Amino acid sequence: MNRFGLITHTAPIVHLITLIVLAALLMAGLAGTEFALSRYLANAIGQLAAFAVLAISLDLIWGYLGILSLGHGLFFALGGYLMAMYLLKHSFEITGTVPDFLQFMGWKEFPFYWDGFEFFPYALAAAVVMTTLISGLFGYVSFRSRVGGVYFAIITQALVYVAMLLMFRNDTGFGGNNGMTGFTVLFGWPMGTSGMITALAVASLLVLAGVLAGCNGLVKSRFGALMLATRDDETRLRTMGYETLRLKLIVWCLSALIAMLAGMLYVPQVGIINPRVLSPELSLEIAVWVAIGGRGHLVGAVIGALLVNAVKFWLSFAAPEIWPFILSGLIVLVVLVFPNGLMDLAKFKLVRPMGPKRLASDMGEARP
Amino acid sequence: MNLTRLTAVLAGLLAALLLAPSARAQALDRAGLIANLCGNASAMGEAASVLTGLAMSGDAADRAFAVPLARAVIDRKLACDDAGAVLTENGLDAVTRQPRAAAGEPLTPVLSLKNRATYEQVDAALALRAAPEASQRAAALKTLERRPALIPEGLLEAAAAAEPDAGLKGEIETLAQTAALTAADPAARIRALARIADNPSRRALTQVSALTADPAYAASPEFRAAVDDATVRIGRGIAVGDVLATAYNGLSFASILFMAAIGLAIIFGLMGVINLAQGELIMIGAYVTWLVQQGLRVVAPSLLDWYLVLAIPVAFFVTAAIGIALEASLLRHLYKRPLMSLLATWAVSLFLMNLVRVVFGTQNLQFETPFYVTGGVPVIGDFIFTWNRMFAILFAVVTLALTWGLVRRTPFGLNIRAVTQNRDMAACIGIPTRRVDMMAFGLGSGLAGLAGLALSPIYSVNPQMGQNFIIDAFMVVVLGGVGTIAGTVVAALGIGQINVLIEPLWGAVAAKVIVLLMIIAFLQWRPEGLFAVKGRRK
Amino acid sequence: MSLTALLVDGLTVRFGSFRALDDLSLAIDYGEVRAIIGPNGAGKTTLLDVISGITRPKQGRVLFDGAIDLTGLSEAAIARAGLRRKFQKPSVFEGLSVRQHIAIGADVGFRARLDAPALEDRIGEVLETVGLVDHSNRLAGELSHGQKQWLEIGMVLASDPKVLMLDEPVAGLTDEETERTAALVRALKRPDRAIVVVEHDMDFVERIADRVTVLHEGRTLFEGSMAHVRADAAVVEVYLGR
Repeated sequence: MNRFGLITHTAPIVHLITLIVLAALLMAGLAGTEFALSRYLANAIGQLAAFAVLAISLDLIWGYLGILSLGHGLFFALGGYLMAMYLLKHSFEITGTVPDFLQFMGWKEFPFYWDGFEFFPYALAAAVVMTTLISGLFGYVSFRSRVGGVYFAIITQALVYVAMLLMFRNDTGFGGNNGMTGFTVLFGWPMGTSGMITALAVASLLVLAGVLAGCNGLVKSRFGALMLATRDDETRLRTMGYETLRLKLIVWCLSALIAMLAGMLYVPQVGIINPRVLSPELSLEIAVWVAIGGRGHLVGAVIGALLVNAVKFWLSFAAPEIWPFILSGLIVLVVLVFPNGLMDLAKFKLVRPMGPKRLASDMGEARP
Repeated sequence: MNLTRLTAVLAGLLAALLLAPSARAQALDRAGLIANLCGNASAMGEAASVLTGLAMSGDAADRAFAVPLARAVIDRKLACDDAGAVLTENGLDAVTRQPRAAAGEPLTPVLSLKNRATYEQVDAALALRAAPEASQRAAALKTLERRPALIPEGLLEAAAAAEPDAGLKGEIETLAQTAALTAADPAARIRALARIADNPSRRALTQVSALTADPAYAASPEFRAAVDDATVRIGRGIAVGDVLATAYNGLSFASILFMAAIGLAIIFGLMGVINLAQGELIMIGAYVTWLVQQGLRVVAPSLLDWYLVLAIPVAFFVTAAIGIALEASLLRHLYKRPLMSLLATWAVSLFLMNLVRVVFGTQNLQFETPFYVTGGVPVIGDFIFTWNRMFAILFAVVTLALTWGLVRRTPFGLNIRAVTQNRDMAACIGIPTRRVDMMAFGLGSGLAGLAGLALSPIYSVNPQMGQNFIIDAFMVVVLGGVGTIAGTVVAALGIGQINVLIEPLWGAVAAKVIVLLMIIAFLQWRPEGLFAVKGRRK
Repeated sequence: MSLTALLVDGLTVRFGSFRALDDLSLAIDYGEVRAIIGPNGAGKTTLLDVISGITRPKQGRVLFDGAIDLTGLSEAAIARAGLRRKFQKPSVFEGLSVRQHIAIGADVGFRARLDAPALEDRIGEVLETVGLVDHSNRLAGELSHGQKQWLEIGMVLASDPKVLMLDEPVAGLTDEETERTAALVRALKRPDRAIVVVEHDMDFVERIADRVTVLHEGRTLFEGSMAHVRADAAVVEVYLGR
């Protein structure tokens, strides 16, 4: 218990962070030995870790601030695209590989706005600046006019949809509908080797652990209490002297930056980025991971993302056509029977849908 | 119009030469025609003018009779004997078209060099008017195109008027104008210019402006004046047509948007729930329409053309039933958790889309095009008043009127409005709010089904189609404000028109981007939408 | 410091064609407990909404401390100037503990400004005042209705406000709880603080109020002591009944 009197669930999250770090160290240690994971498995773990980071970014604003974004794929894609730009430019510098999209468009050289992307720090800075600018501007105009709830959710959905249409155009210089692929070098090292795959997975796990620890620190602080207060009754908090616009904007931008980070981790591991990451479906799916794991619990978000995506990976081989049915069934189950997702299951707390008592975590959703 | 055409016909040099007065007024002397075909060069010339007359204005039966004749002569498949002649291609008598063999030693008429060209032209003219296949008519047009000066004045206009194929019709019209404009007589050309300017189009403008390079443009001040005048008139006509076409397309797009959004808006106003499955209900409405069409094909083929009308109640009630089931089983438990209801309705959307994909496949459905949504009336310039768009507009107007009447003039509508404004108070005065929710959800879903029906003649129908409308429909609801019919109408009209205005300038994607940015900017000014009711915090 | 804490001057608020407040003027002094009563729709809550910055008036102004016009300020700025309000519907943060509420109320800012012992003292003091010491670690969502009412009062009290607005503080409370609330309000009275109470419970109003303002259709119908209010024919006619 800290000095704000929050009843903290330190145990599970500390365990989870420890587990992730141990897994990372184990993977790093076993690399090159006969006990090393297969390339496929190592790659899958790395991708899952990136998705878990993405889930945390959404849980931060939905679970703790009560703002549902159905367009978080936008920031994920932003990080992914800028990372892909770095990879392509870097590969071109080192190996002279000409990116596919230049060939598709019949262009002789990179458009001017690709200048400087061969330097990773520049690409990273560009990603941070652009994510902050876009999320900041959108967040400011939305929160300033007090757009929230369902309105905010569907406007973010429209935003990601429009971004997808934009990126599907081939004349933008970002690869159009084919996207960007053919990355050959990362930080001067060839991609696609077992070592690189393991290194990326380990890095993703460590970033996940770091993000988890950082977010845990944030939500357990006084600032975190204010986030929950904003979620539960924003007007109330405002009439106590707090500028909730600033608070929401800070958390919203932070969440966007974490989603961006997830995108930057994801792209080198799948080796491609295309406008489909901007589809409304992906953004909705992120919300489903969080809902299944349990909103307002960082551990839940991570476990939700890992579980849902692990099942999805597995089914994409076994029976891809039944995945949408399983997903929709899972959503209905979570929505009707386990409003707090796996967190309910963990406590064996089955809640009748029409139960007279509402759960505390339902509170963030005042009717519009 | 008819008078000018008649004058032109009478004055035309070629027409005077080829148009035998007898061929127009009297019934066709079939035996005499065949006799002429078997006769000498001048008799064959006479027969050619009779055939040309048939191509232009004779009755359909005579024209059908004449179709094989010119070809038979050209290909030397006409065997003349004492009893007349036999078409050797299929062994039929040329006059009676009964099977018989040629008697004695039949003669095959040989075309003179001059007559050969005439017969090629006559054959093409007949084929253009009477051949059953569009491809045959198109080939005939190609033949005519080679010698535009030989085309009888008026033939192409008549052919264009009767042509069912829209593409071919356009080509015929182009050739008609070319033919008239390249005529030898300057007076005929000036008349042609005036005629062209009466029906302005981009094609006409290209043709007319090309005449500024014609020697006559420099030589004859009258011709120059006629060309300049025609250019201005066509330009004006095109401008008017473009404005009308944009407004009309905007209106039809707005109608579809309205249909897609009205159900969403009613449900959102009542329960604060955005139904993400609305797009799939639209899709199901279109699929039900298709099923009705397929059913009619089997049960009552004579009614097939009316499937769009007969499907109206079916589409409405099927989607309404799905909506009611959805409400009763799922959304009922989520009214206090609107964000979760977003996910729940998305799950339904995912389920329905994939179910349809499994059952029907992913390909576009084929719809019959009933006569009442076929073609359109060219109004001015490039603006065609198309019936399929008109169908969507009328459908939306009727839906609007009925919905408005239902919400404003019936007890059920009164209940909906009461619960929308104050749920708790409505419950206190004995309105069964749960029942109202369920029925209203059914209404909103049924309206989505009708939207699917209305857009099936215009857009392609497949399992993913709902996704194309849902986001635009969201924007209409956000812009219009919560649960107001008037707001939905105004927002749909606004977004529809802005979309079609921007699209030609910067493309469809830019239109969507700009509409979204405008809505976000608009929300700065009125966060509750256009028609929100203000009140104090509850 | 002026004598008048709040000067409401020519306030008009419209919702559509409905005038919630119609050219309303009144003054509330430091050191008094002012009750505002009136039938439903008289504009009581709307008045508090305007003072606390939630609703923007069409016309008029609200001067705080004789100098600051509140009608142009944000809710947060008004609260930081020293005006706090308890809402009609108990508005607490269901996901936070009782202690956290008081901590948030006592110290405004994203980071704590008071040092830990000072904050602890303040929290203890406030919890003592509102009688929730035994519940300090419970989540607000688990409290009873009356406890929520007191928690909210404690939350606004923690900041030591100059103007304290209480919107129906005893609605839905038992007689005993009402009794305790009345005692609490009297105890909160200070020379440098104005307390504004909106309430329908006339006995409660009689016990706490120094002066009473009766609103009707957005205007002041009567102003004076509770005894005079009960005697006024117009008030009896529109509100109290016979």
